[in-house]
Amino acid sequence: MAETANTDLEGIDGVRMTWNVWPRSKVEASKCVIPLAACISPIRRHSDIPTLPYAPLRCRTCSAALNAYAQVDFTAKLWICPFCYQRNHFPPHYHVISETNLPGELYPQYTTVEYTLPPPVAGQFDPRNGEVPSQAVFVFVLDTCMIEEELDFAKSALKQAIGLLPENALVGFVSFGTQAHAHELGFSEMSKVFVFKGDKEISKDQILDQLGLGGSSRRYTKGAQNGVPSSGLNRFLLPASECEFTLNSLLDELQSDQWPVQPGHRSQRCTGVALSVAAGLLGACLPGTGARIVALIGGPCTEGPGTIVSKDLSDPVRSHKDLDKDAAPYYKKAVKFYDSIAKQLVTQGHVLDLFASALDQVGVAEMKVAVERTGGLVVLSESFGHSVFKDSFKRVFEDGDQALGLCFNGTLEICCSQDIKIQGAIGPCSSLEKKGASVADTVIGEGNTSAWRLCGLDKTTCLTVFFDISSSGSNTPGAANPQFYLQFLTSYQNPEGQTLLRVTTVCRQWIDSAVSSEELVQGFDQETAAVVVARLASLKMESEEGFDATRWLDRNLIRLCSKFGDYRKDDPASFTLNPYFSLFPQFIFNLRRSQFVQVFNNSPDETAYFCMLLNRENISNATVMIQPSLTTYSFNSPAEPALLDVASIAADRILLLDAYFSVVVFHGMTIAQWRNMGYHHQPEHQAFAELLQAPQEDSQMIVRERFPVPRLVVCDQHGSQARFLLAKLNPSATYNNANEMSTGSDVIFTDDVSLQVFFEHLQKLVVQS
Amino acid sequence: LDHKSFPRPLDGDVEPSSFAEMYPMNCHSRYLRLTTSAIPNSQSLASRWHLPLGAVVCPLAETPEGEEVPLIDFGSTGIIRCRRCRTYVNPYVTFTDSGRKWRCNICSMLNDVPGEYFSHLDATGRRMDMDQRPELTKGSVEIIAPTEYMVRPPMPPIYFFLIDVSISATKSGMLEVVAQTIKSCLDNLPGYPRTQIGFITYDSTLHFYNMKSSLSQPQMMVVSDLDDIFVPLPDDLLVNLSESRTVVEAFLDSLPLMFQDNVNVESAFGPALRAAFMVMNQLGGKLLIFQNSLPSLGAGRLKLRGDDPRVYGTDKEYALRVAEDPFYKQMAADCTKFQIGINVYAFSDKYTDIASLGTLAKYTGGQVYYYPGFQSSVHGDKLRHELARDLTRETAWEAVMRIRCGKGIRFSSYHGNFMLRSTDLLALPAVDCDKAYAMQLSLEETLLTSQTVYFQVALLYTASCGERRIRVHTSVAPVVTDLGEMYRQADTGSIVSLYARLAIEKSLSAKLDDARNAIQQKIVKALKEYRNLHAVQHRLGSRLIYPESLKFLPLYGLAITKSTPLLGGPADTSLDERCAAGFTMMALPVKKLLKLLYPNLFRVDEWLLKPSTDHDDFKDVLRRLPLAAESLDSRGLYVYDDGFRLVLWFGRMLSPDIAKNLLGGDFAAELSRVTFQEQENGMSKKLMRLVKKLRESDPSYHPMCFLVRQGEQPREGFLLLRN
Ligand SMILES: [Zn+2]
Ligand SMILES: [Zn+2]
Repeated sequence: MAETANTDLEGIDGVRMTWNVWPRSKVEASKCVIPLAACISPIRRHSDIPTLPYAPLRCRTCSAALNAYAQVDFTAKLWICPFCYQRNHFPPHYHVISETNLPGELYPQYTTVEYTLPPPVAGQFDPRNGEVPSQAVFVFVLDTCMIEEELDFAKSALKQAIGLLPENALVGFVSFGTQAHAHELGFSEMSKVFVFKGDKEISKDQILDQLGLGGSSRRYTKGAQNGVPSSGLNRFLLPASECEFTLNSLLDELQSDQWPVQPGHRSQRCTGVALSVAAGLLGACLPGTGARIVALIGGPCTEGPGTIVSKDLSDPVRSHKDLDKDAAPYYKKAVKFYDSIAKQLVTQGHVLDLFASALDQVGVAEMKVAVERTGGLVVLSESFGHSVFKDSFKRVFEDGDQALGLCFNGTLEICCSQDIKIQGAIGPCSSLEKKGASVADTVIGEGNTSAWRLCGLDKTTCLTVFFDISSSGSNTPGAANPQFYLQFLTSYQNPEGQTLLRVTTVCRQWIDSAVSSEELVQGFDQETAAVVVARLASLKMESEEGFDATRWLDRNLIRLCSKFGDYRKDDPASFTLNPYFSLFPQFIFNLRRSQFVQVFNNSPDETAYFCMLLNRENISNATVMIQPSLTTYSFNSPAEPALLDVASIAADRILLLDAYFSVVVFHGMTIAQWRNMGYHHQPEHQAFAELLQAPQEDSQMIVRERFPVPRLVVCDQHGSQARFLLAKLNPSATYNNANEMSTGSDVIFTDDVSLQVFFEHLQKLVVQS
Repeated sequence: LDHKSFPRPLDGDVEPSSFAEMYPMNCHSRYLRLTTSAIPNSQSLASRWHLPLGAVVCPLAETPEGEEVPLIDFGSTGIIRCRRCRTYVNPYVTFTDSGRKWRCNICSMLNDVPGEYFSHLDATGRRMDMDQRPELTKGSVEIIAPTEYMVRPPMPPIYFFLIDVSISATKSGMLEVVAQTIKSCLDNLPGYPRTQIGFITYDSTLHFYNMKSSLSQPQMMVVSDLDDIFVPLPDDLLVNLSESRTVVEAFLDSLPLMFQDNVNVESAFGPALRAAFMVMNQLGGKLLIFQNSLPSLGAGRLKLRGDDPRVYGTDKEYALRVAEDPFYKQMAADCTKFQIGINVYAFSDKYTDIASLGTLAKYTGGQVYYYPGFQSSVHGDKLRHELARDLTRETAWEAVMRIRCGKGIRFSSYHGNFMLRSTDLLALPAVDCDKAYAMQLSLEETLLTSQTVYFQVALLYTASCGERRIRVHTSVAPVVTDLGEMYRQADTGSIVSLYARLAIEKSLSAKLDDARNAIQQKIVKALKEYRNLHAVQHRLGSRLIYPESLKFLPLYGLAITKSTPLLGGPADTSLDERCAAGFTMMALPVKKLLKLLYPNLFRVDEWLLKPSTDHDDFKDVLRRLPLAAESLDSRGLYVYDDGFRLVLWFGRMLSPDIAKNLLGGDFAAELSRVTFQEQENGMSKKLMRLVKKLRESDPSYHPMCFLVRQGEQPREGFLLLRN
C-alpha cells in the first residue's frame, strides 16, 4: 500500500488495465501471458468529473455516447463515432457548438462525464402519490436462532440503523428461525406477522398470494381501508419515520426462536425461506426500484431450501476438503437455490447484503452467488457484538464523508473498437446476456454479453473486464487508426434517487508486438496484473474441478518471465527483470501464500468472503489483500515501509501490518516492556508516548476508511496474537535456518519457502531451454 | 272428542315418586330416570311392553341449594370397588362376616373390606360408622380419584376460541358481542388460577395470537398456506389466563376494531379447525367455534347443498341432514380422542350446513347454538347470556361415563352427543349440567331371577379445580312379572326423552315421514297392548285407555312429530334450523325437553292491570293454560314460553292502553318490526320482571322475546304452536 497510497493511478476514468498497449492479434495477445483486462471503478468519485444536466448523444449505429475522442465537423454539424466511424448529425440543440463553444463531453480532458437523466418511466408507481418512489428501500432480515446476547447485539444494531435512515426511506422487516415471519408494519392494532413454514420451498407466486399481494385478489382483501385494497407498500414497507416506533417496540419484544432444539442438534434455521419471502415481498411491491435486503445471519441454514448442513451437530459444516472430495451433500443443491434467489433479485433489480456473524460457518460460500451477482455487501465476523460487524453495519447507514454512497439499479454497457471482443466480467455484477459483435465466444465470469446489471454499487465497486482480440484479423484497423477505444457507460440511481449516467471513454494504442515488445513492456501494469491474476485464479479454483492454483500461477509466472526477462539460456545468474515487471514475482509469491490460494487454512465461508472482496475492491485495496503492507516505527527514524519479512521484527520497533482484513499493531519486546512499566505516562518519556501513539493513529485511519471494517489486533512480540503478523511475513528465518539469525528477531515455524528460495527456483526454471 | 277432557301436562314434568319412597337411597331422579321403574323379569314380558326400556342420565344435573353431592376422599384406603365388576361401593352393598367382607350388589361378589375401611356391624348387620359414610347412605356421591385414575396429570380448564372474522361476522356485530362477552367472563371462568385460554381467528387465512405473558400486546401471526396447515409457535398460543390476563384483555379489546373494515368473504373453516386442533391436542379442552358463513376454503369446504323440496319424500332426503364430507366426523373423532369438546355457534342468515358443522359438537359431547341471521341489536343479549353460561358453568373435563347394571340385563344403545370409546364407555371431553344422555336396556337372559336390578352411573372426570373425581349415582329397581306394573311404573318424561332422540336419529337415516310414523306406531302399539290388558277386565269399549303414568304420552308423542327436527316438510322450517334443533334436543335433560315439546302458556293482561306491589307474586300469573286455540282470548295478552323463546301474543281486542304501555309509540306498528324494550311505566316494568323471572327459572338458554299480534300471518303460525 505504501507505494501507491498517494498516487492517483486510476485518474479521472477509474480504469486500470493489465496492458496499456495491446497487440494486434489474438496470437500475440496470448503470448502476453497476462490477459488483456481492464479493472474499472464505474462510479468512483473524482472531483474533476463534470456533471452534465442532459442526456448524451448516442451514435446511431453502435450507440456509443458522444465523447472527447469523436471527430467533430463544426461546419457540417456532425461527429464521427470513433468506434464505428459512423457520421452522426448533431441535433438542433447542438447547433450552437464551435471550437470555442464545446459541450462538456467534448472537452479533451473530460474523458469521463456524468449525465443526469430524468427518472425512468417504467417502474412501480407509488399509489399514494402517483410518483416513482425515489427513497431508499431496506428490508431487514433477522435471524432469531441466536443466544439472547447475540440477538440483543443484532437488535441494537438494527435499531441504530433504522434511526440513521432518512425519514422517507422505506423499511420492511422479516425475522426467521424455524419459520419465517414477514412483519406487517402498517397494521396498527397489534404486532402482526405472516408466517411461512421453514421446511418447504415456496414459489414467488405462493408468497405473494399468502401475503395477500398476489394477483388473485379473491384470496385476500383484508386490511383494505375504505374499500381500497391496500398494497404491500403501506402494509409491509413503511417510511422509516412512520414505522420506527413500531419497529423498535417490535424488536424489544422479539425473542429468540421459540421452537425447541433437540440436544446435540443445531437450531432450525430457514434462511432460504426467509430470503425468498423478503425477495418476494420486494418483487411484489417495488420491482425495478432499487432496494436492499439486509440480512443478519447468525448461523447455518438447516431447514428447508438453502440448507447447508444437517441439524445433527455431529455432522460438521462442509470444509474445503469435503468440497474437493464431493463429500458435501447439501452444497450443490444449496448453491442452486441461492442462484435462483440471485436470478430473481437481479430481475427485480434488488440487492442482497449479507452480515454473517457466527463462530462457525453460516453458508457464505453457498450464498455468495446471491450477494455477488446483486452487488451486495458482505461482512463476516465472529459475533454481532464484534466491532467488525458493529462498525461496518453502522457505516452502511451513516451519512457524511464516511458514507458508502450506496447506489442502485446500475447497468454497465461497454462499447469497444472493432476486433475487440469482451469475454466477460468478474465482480459484483450479473450478465444481461446482451449479445453482439463485440461479445467473445469464450467466457470468463459473467459473460456472453456487452451489458451487465449492477443491482447495487458504490463508489468503491470495481469490476474486471476481460478482452480478447478478434481471431479473424481480417483488417488491420491500426493502419487506419493506431488507437483503440473502450467506452464504459454506467447508469445508476444515486442514494438520493437521482438517475445518472457515467460515460468513460478510454483510448489506448495498438502495437505490433511481433515487431517490438518495448512499448508493450512499458504498458504493463504489474499491480493490476497481479490482482487480475488473483481474481482469475480464484474464479478458476471455484469453477474448474481439480484446478491447481499454485502450479497454474507458477507456470504463468515462468512463462511471463521467460518472455519478458533478460537472461542467457541455462544461466540463472544472468536473469534480470525490467523494472516494469520487477515487483510482479513478489506479488505472485505472496499470492501463492495468501488466503486466496492456500484455502485449506480457511473455511469455505471465509474463502468466499475473501474472494468477494478481492473481486469488488479497487486495485490498491486488492493489492493489499494479496501482499500486505508493513510499516515500521522506531525512535531513530520516521514511520517507513518495511519489508514484509520476518527480519523486520525488532525488539525496539513497532510494526503496523495492513493485511486488509486485519490490521495488526505489533510491539517489539522492549517496547512492550516499557509500555507495561508505564513509561509513556511519564513526562520525561514523551517521545515514547508519541512512538506508541503513532501506529495507533495510523491504524485507526485505515479502519475508518475501510469497508468492511478490518479486525484490529494490537499485540506484543511473543504474545498469542502475534500469529496474525507472523502468518503474513516472508519466512526468511525459519527453524530450518534459525542458527543464522541475529538475536532479537523472530523465527517463523513453517515449511513455506522463503521469497529468496522462491526467486532462485524461478530463475532456474525461466532460463531453462 | 272432548278437548277439555284431553289430558294436558299443565303441571309440567311430573317425576315418578312411588319408588323414591321405597328406595330412599336411590339417586335423585334428576340424575337418572328409567323409562319404567319396574324391570320385566323376562324377554317375553319386555317384548310385550312395546315402549322403550331404558334410562335418561344427566350426570351433573344442577342441585338445589343445600343438596350438593357429598365429596368423599378414601385417602390411602383407596376407592372401595368390587374386585370383579368394578362397581363402586354404594348403599346397596351388604357387609358380612362381622364387617370383614362386603357383597357386591351388582355381581354378588364377596369382597374383602380393607383394614382401614373396616367397621364393626351392629346387630342388624349395619356398619356402626354408617352415619359418617355418605357413600353407604347416599345414592349420589363424588369420590376423589387417586393417581391410578389418571393417565396424565389432571388438565386445567382450557377455553379455546375459533372465531370467524369475515365480513359477515363483523357486520352482524357478532365479533363485538363475542369479544365483549368473553372479556366480561374472564373473572368467572372456572378453574382459576389454572385456566388456560387461546384464540384463532380466520377468514381466507388463519390468524394465531401469541399471548405470552411478557408481551405488552398480543402478536398476530397469519398463516395462509391452507393446504399445509402448521402451528406458528410451539407455546404461547394457549396461555395461562391469570398470567397473560392483560394481553388477553388487550386482544379482546382490539379484536372487533382490528377487523372492522374487513371485506373478506371467505371462510377457511376446515383449516382453522385443524389449526385449533394442533394447538389444543396437547391438553384438550373446550373449543368454541363462532362461524358466520359456509366454510368455503380448504379441507372441509362445504357446498350449498340446498334445501331442495323435491328431495323430500325420496330416499335421498336424509342425506341433507348428515355431514357429507367425512372431514367433520373424522375431526370430531380426533378431537374426542384428544379430550377436545366442541361447541358450535352459528350465525349466518344463509345456509351454513349446520348438519356438517353440528357433527363436530355431536361427537365431542358439545352443543350447537344457532342464531340465524344474527344481528347484535336483536340477538346480542341472547348470545351474551348463552355464551356467558357456556363459559362460566361448572364443567367436567376429560370425562368418561359408564353405566353398570346387574346381571342379566345390559345397556344396548346410547343416544345423545358423545362418542363411544368402547362398547359401553362414553367419551365426554367436556360435560356440564345441561347435558343428558339416553340409553336403552335389553335383557340378556330369558329370565331374571333376582328381585331387583341395580344401576350405577360413574362419571370419571377432572374438576375445574384440578381434582380427578368420580361421580357415582346408584339406583335400584324391582324386577316384576306383571306387564301392568311396568306400565304403572312408567315414566313418561324419560320415555319421551328417549323417543325424541330415537326419532331424531331415525331422521338422519330415513325420511321425516318414516321417523314420525315410527314414533306414532310405537305409541299406538303400546296403548293397544295396555288396552288389551285392561279391556278384558273393564270392558271399556272403544275408549282410549292409558295408565295414569302415561296419560300425557300421546300428546308428547304428537309434539315430538311436530318439533322442529321432525316437523312437516321443507316449507315448515329451514334445513339449518331443523338440524340445529336436532342437535340441541339430543342433549336436553328431560324437563327441558318436555317444556320445549309442550310449552307454557300464560295469560298476563289481567295480572298486569293489577296494582303492582314491591314483591310481585308470580304464582297467580304463572298458571299454565292448555295449548289450544280455545285458550286464547282475543282480548288477552299471553306469554308463551318453550324455554328457547318467549312469545308475547297480543289479542286483536287487547286493550290499547296495555299495548301502548308495553310498546310505547310503536303499539300500532307491525309487531315484527318492533323491538321489545322496557317502557317508563309500571306495567311495562312489571312485564319485564316477569320475563326476567321466566328467563332466570332456566338459565341454560336465554329465550328471546318475540311479539305477535293475533292473526298476523305467517309469523303467528311460525311462532306459536301447531299443537
Ligand atoms: Zn458508433
Ligand atoms: Zn361386582
